[in-house]
Amino acid sequence: MPAFPPVQYRLEYPYTRTTGPIVGAFLTALRDGKLLGIRCRGRVLCPPLEYDPETGETLAPDFVEVGPGGTIVSWTWIAEPSRKHPFQQPFAFALIRPDGADSAIAHAVKASDPAALRAGGRVRTQYREERRGAITDLYFTPEAEAQDRYVPPGKGAVEMTEHLISLDYSEPLAPHRERFARGLLEGRFIGQRSPASGKVYLPSKGYDPIERVRMSERDDVVVSDRGTVVAYTVITPVQYYGQKETEPYIRASILLDGADQPLGQQDIRSIPVAGFRAGMRLRAVWKAAAERSVADVDNRWGGTGSVIERWEPTGEPDLPFEKIMEHNW
Amino acid sequence: MSTSPRPSPGDDIAIVAVAQTPARRRYADSEPSMLMDLTNQLLAETGLERSAVDFTIAGSCDYLSGMPFAFVSNVDGFGAWPPVYESHVEMDGAWALFEAWVRLAVGDIDVALVAGSGKSSPGNPREIFPLQTDPYTAAPLGLDPVSVAGLQARALLDAGLATERDFAEVVSRSRRDALANPNAQVKKDVAVDALLAEPYYASPLRKHDLPPISDGAAAVLIARGARARELTEKPVWIRGIDHRIDSHHLGLRDLTDSPSARLAAQGVDLHAGPIDVAELCVRYSPEEIVLRRALGLAPGTCVNPSGGPLCGHPVMATGLVRVIEVAQRIREGRARRGVAHAASGPALQQNLLCVLEGEA
Repeated sequence: MPAFPPVQYRLEYPYTRTTGPIVGAFLTALRDGKLLGIRCRGRVLCPPLEYDPETGETLAPDFVEVGPGGTIVSWTWIAEPSRKHPFQQPFAFALIRPDGADSAIAHAVKASDPAALRAGGRVRTQYREERRGAITDLYFTPEAEAQDRYVPPGKGAVEMTEHLISLDYSEPLAPHRERFARGLLEGRFIGQRSPASGKVYLPSKGYDPIERVRMSERDDVVVSDRGTVVAYTVITPVQYYGQKETEPYIRASILLDGADQPLGQQDIRSIPVAGFRAGMRLRAVWKAAAERSVADVDNRWGGTGSVIERWEPTGEPDLPFEKIMEHNW
Repeated sequence: MSTSPRPSPGDDIAIVAVAQTPARRRYADSEPSMLMDLTNQLLAETGLERSAVDFTIAGSCDYLSGMPFAFVSNVDGFGAWPPVYESHVEMDGAWALFEAWVRLAVGDIDVALVAGSGKSSPGNPREIFPLQTDPYTAAPLGLDPVSVAGLQARALLDAGLATERDFAEVVSRSRRDALANPNAQVKKDVAVDALLAEPYYASPLRKHDLPPISDGAAAVLIARGARARELTEKPVWIRGIDHRIDSHHLGLRDLTDSPSARLAAQGVDLHAGPIDVAELCVRYSPEEIVLRRALGLAPGTCVNPSGGPLCGHPVMATGLVRVIEVAQRIREGRARRGVAHAASGPALQQNLLCVLEGEA
């Protein structure tokens, strides 16, 4: 049987950050092709800080233009840039003290040859054609490679700056999750029975967290695909970034016959809310085998993937509350 | 029930049991499973029931696995029943130890379980770590710890405080020492000249000047006063912990030095006695040179006999592993007093020191 491919997922936070009077002025100046420092007890700090780094006093917005030239304080040649670096060909990160400033700024230096880089070497600011009011609007080059370019100033102040955090992860499916996913594709719920307590977990995490015992394939058990509603909620969709739902629907926890742990996160759209209740007996109606997918099942989330067409009432009498109250979650 | 004297506030606090997984490039196990194994090991060694653990604290970082609330799932590893009185720090387990030590010092509880864990294998650490830097001026540049370590290395060379050969010697010695460490991930006997022949990666650093990417976990049990003596014949007493932080603005720092490490050393009275062993969080070989100077370690000091993080770097457990390596040597009678160091942030921005001592 072919193995499951590693689970790939992307974690993204599309941050927009307010900038305030100090960082805002700094980023606005970058957009306009200027580098600013801030006065602090007789020194000039670049990038500008909002407070005195030694006393903690709030700094007045007393800015001074620094650069465009600067001196390298330290540098490192990046032979294999990461995808998040400012350049995708080899470049240098450096600590640069802009002319007129008393502190250094960490930034990228684009150089055709690392031989040009040394402590004390001269560099100059260069501004990208597309500027957003962000630290990435500029970079540095060795003085000898610097080009004079007119930077048209923008309009207004930069009060918000965007920072997209986007991280990729790849993780193999754990063996017990593979067996669980394979079971779903075959139209079966596979849980695990704890060798210590005898309780049946579904879906299992591969261990019994109460007795602190790992479980293995020999602890796998097939659990019935009919059971009892032990808890439910009616979800009214709230609009947020990434929201796909528009209509209210039921999300229920179902205690399948033979399991001690409710199967949560089951979306129910084919049973009217008015008649829905805890204690109700339901059974899974599976999708046709060719239509089942477990693509969303990873090592922690994904519920039962996309293998169940719908849950439908069995018509059996409800289970009384006393029989399900320990599983009311 | 024991009839020995009850602990009281002001008692010393000791490590009574330690456990760590080997550092590996990739563990198939889930992080909770790894913590479960360590918890079971600690309880078995001390004979403690899980219900006798008064306080549990873990250090971990959800960004490593990319799973929101991964740190909540980890609590499964410590045993979900009875409910844990727990805490968490988004830091290395060494900081969890600091909090546990402070918590026990309050005097109302006696036993704490401390853990640190992390799986770096699913993600790309070089892309994740910039997120701990300034969100306006550094993170959008993807300014990562490897690049910052390169800046620090260059500063040391230019200041005449180190040579590339010095960096290579740290690596060669560490990897050779790691041959004796069953928990080390990278261990080999490689000569300094062979290392110097390798190409630069983030100049002047070469790939071997960097830590490996590791999955791993570590845990300790600590206890107060009389309780510690009930749980082990060889308590390792925590004599002091101190933690200091330098500016997060790289351009305001002198990267050839570590003022926060120096301050922390004063805070723990590091030189109040001999230092038989020092386990330092040397993730990048130049860091050993900076730390030896900042901590004022005498030239012959035994540093990183485990091989240190250059040989295994389970992020979020690495610092706690340093504590464990010192504690183990004290328990085995190979040292009487030692110091464990943990670091966080770019170029040794944050430094924590923990001084440990065995019985007289």
